[in-house]
Amino acid sequence: MSAPNPYLDDLSKGIIKENPVFRMLLGMCPVLGVTGYFINGLGMGLAATAVLIASNVVIAALKNFIPPQVRIPCFIVVIATFVTIIEMVLQAFQPVLYEALGVFVPLIVVNCVILGRAEAFASKKPVLRALVDGVGVGLGFTLALGILALVREVAGQGTIMGPDPESAILLFGQGFQPMGLFGQPPGAFIALGLLLGLTNVIFKKFNI
Amino acid sequence: MREVMRLSIPLAVVAIVSAALLTGVHNVTEPVIREREQQEYLEALERFFPALDDFETEEINGDQFDLVYDQDGEKLGVMAAVQTQGYEGTITYNLAVDAEAEIIGILVVSHSETPGIGDVITTDNFQEQFIGKSFEDPLEAGEDVDTVSGATISTEAMIGSIRRTVTTIGENFLGKERQAFGLEDLTDGVYRGSVEGTYGDLVVEVEFRDGRIQAIEVIEQNETEAYFMEVYPEIPEKIIEEQELAVDVQSGATLSAERIVAAVRNALEGAPEGEGGDN
Amino acid sequence: METLLSIIFIYILVDNFVLQRFFGICPFLGVSRKMETAVGMSMAVIFVMTMATLVTWLLYTFVLVQFNLEYLQIVTFILVIASLVQLVETPLRKISPTLYQGLGIFLPLITTNCAIMAVALLAVREEFAFIEAVVFGVAASLGFSLALVIMAGIRERLELANIPDVLQGSAVTLITAGILSLAFQGFRGMLTL
Repeated sequence: MSAPNPYLDDLSKGIIKENPVFRMLLGMCPVLGVTGYFINGLGMGLAATAVLIASNVVIAALKNFIPPQVRIPCFIVVIATFVTIIEMVLQAFQPVLYEALGVFVPLIVVNCVILGRAEAFASKKPVLRALVDGVGVGLGFTLALGILALVREVAGQGTIMGPDPESAILLFGQGFQPMGLFGQPPGAFIALGLLLGLTNVIFKKFNI
Repeated sequence: MREVMRLSIPLAVVAIVSAALLTGVHNVTEPVIREREQQEYLEALERFFPALDDFETEEINGDQFDLVYDQDGEKLGVMAAVQTQGYEGTITYNLAVDAEAEIIGILVVSHSETPGIGDVITTDNFQEQFIGKSFEDPLEAGEDVDTVSGATISTEAMIGSIRRTVTTIGENFLGKERQAFGLEDLTDGVYRGSVEGTYGDLVVEVEFRDGRIQAIEVIEQNETEAYFMEVYPEIPEKIIEEQELAVDVQSGATLSAERIVAAVRNALEGAPEGEGGDN
Repeated sequence: METLLSIIFIYILVDNFVLQRFFGICPFLGVSRKMETAVGMSMAVIFVMTMATLVTWLLYTFVLVQFNLEYLQIVTFILVIASLVQLVETPLRKISPTLYQGLGIFLPLITTNCAIMAVALLAVREEFAFIEAVVFGVAASLGFSLALVIMAGIRERLELANIPDVLQGSAVTLITAGILSLAFQGFRGMLTL
C-alpha cells in the first residue's frame, strides 16, 4: 500500500472531516449573519477563502523569519492586510455584495478559522501544503455557508439567487407565502441547529 | 536590547510592508469607487429624467435636492434624496417629481425593514400608488394612498415622508404654495373631527370663537403613549399660538403630531356641533 | 441624554449583539456551558469592549481621519484590541491574582471575539460622538453578557434534559439560541436611533 498523498488529504479534510462550520464550529458569526440569501453566503465564503489562502501562503513563507514570541501579532497584521485588500476590491468591483455583507467583511479579520489555520497549520508546514490546506478549509467554509444560505433563502423568501429582483427565481409562484422566520435572526440559529443535526446523522452513518 | 531588536524588527517589517501594500491597493481602488458612486448617482437621475442635461444640488434640513434641467435649460423636475425613520431603522430613498410637482418615481436606496414584512415599501405595488399624485393631493394614509396591513408603521412612515418631501419641493423649488387654511370664514362653535391612527381613531374637539381657535382637546386617542406624550399638548398649543394648521411637526413622533393636525383640519372642515363658550 | 438612553436600550434588548446581530457567536456557544464561566467571560468582555471602543474611537478620529488613513482601520483596530488584551492581562495577574484567575483564561479568547471588533467598527460607521461611542460599547457588552448568562442558565438545565441523540451538543444549543432570539424579536421596532 502506497503512502497516502498528503496534499489530497490536506484538501479533503478541510471540506468534510474537519469542516470548519459543521465539525469545528468556528467562524460562526458570518455563517449566521450573511446567510439570508444564497448569493451573500457564497460571496462571504469566497471572500473568506481568498483571505485564508493568501494568509496561509504568506505565513508559511515567513515562518522562519518571524520569531515565535511575536508570531501572533505578525499573523494578525498579515490577515488584516488581506482583509483590507478584499474589502477595498469588493467595494470597487462588487458594490452590491459589499453593501449586503456590510460589517461582516472587515470582521473576517477576527474569523477564528483563519487565525486558527495560521497558528495550527501554516506556521509549521511548507508553503505548498499551506496553500492546499487553505483551499480545502476555505471550500469547506464556503460549502457550509452555501448550504445554510440556500436553505434559509428557499424557506424564508421562496427564491434562489435573490434579493436582486432581476436574478431572483421564484420557486413556488407568486401566491407562495414564505416562512419569514428563516429570513430573520431566530431562523438563522434554528436552521443551522437543524442542519448540524442532519450532518451529525450523515457523519455517523458514513463513519466519518 | 539585542533581544528586543530581534523581536521587533520582523514585526516592524511586516507592518511596514502591510501599510505600503494597502496604500498601493487603496490608490488603485479609490478612484474606481469614487467614479462608480458618481456614475450610480447620475444613473439614478437619468432613470427618472431621461432628457437630463444638467443638474444643481441644494440641501434643506440635511436632505439633498437635485434640480434637473434639459438641454434648453428648462426645468424638468427635482429629485430628492431623503432619509426617514422606518420601523427598524433609517430608510433612504429617492423621490422624483416633475416641474408640475407630480410624482414620477420612487426608488428605495437602502432600508433595514423586516424582510417579508416592512420591505413592501420597495415593491411596485406600494410605490405605484404615488405615481401621478401631486403637490395638491392630500397624500394621506387612508385617503388617496393606502398603508399595507401588517406593515403599517413602515408604510405610514413612507407616506408621511413622501408628503413632506413633495411639499418641500413644491414650495422651495417649483414656486407652488399650499392653500392656507382659511380661518376667516368659520362660524363660532365647537368642531369635532377625527382621523384614523395606527391602533384606532384619534378624535379632537376644537373650540372656535371670535375668529380664533381658542382650544383644542384630544378626546380620544390610541397612540403609542410615549410618542403621544411628546406631541401633546405641544402641537395643539402651537396651532393655537400660530393660528394656523401648517405648524412644524418635525419631532421624535412626527406621525402622532401629523395626526393631531389632520384631525383638527378634519374638524374645521365640518360643521360646528354646538355653541362654544358657554361653559 | 435621550440618545444615550436609547443607545443603551437598543443595544441591550432591541438589537442584541448576539441574538439579533450575530456578533460574538463563538464565545456564546463556547463558554455558555456553565454559569460560572459565563459570568467570568461577561466581566472580561464588558471591560475589554468598553476600553476597546474608547481607544479605537479616539485613534480613528484623531489619527486615522487626520492623516487620511481610514483604509488602515482594520489593521490598527485589531492591533489595538490584541495589545489591549495583553496590557490588561499582565498587570491583572500581578495586582489581583483572584480576579485574574476568574478572568485570565478568557482574555486571550477575546482577541478573536468578533463582538469587540464589531463594536469598534460600528461606533465609527454609525458616526457616534465620543460619549455615544463609549455608551454604545458599554451597552453592547451588557447585551452580550445578558445573552450569555441567560444561555448558560438554560444550558445548565439542558444537561439534565433528554435530548435526541443527533441533536446533542451544539445543535440543540443553536436551536435554543434561536428560540431565545425569537423572544428578543419581541423588542424589534420598539426604538430606533
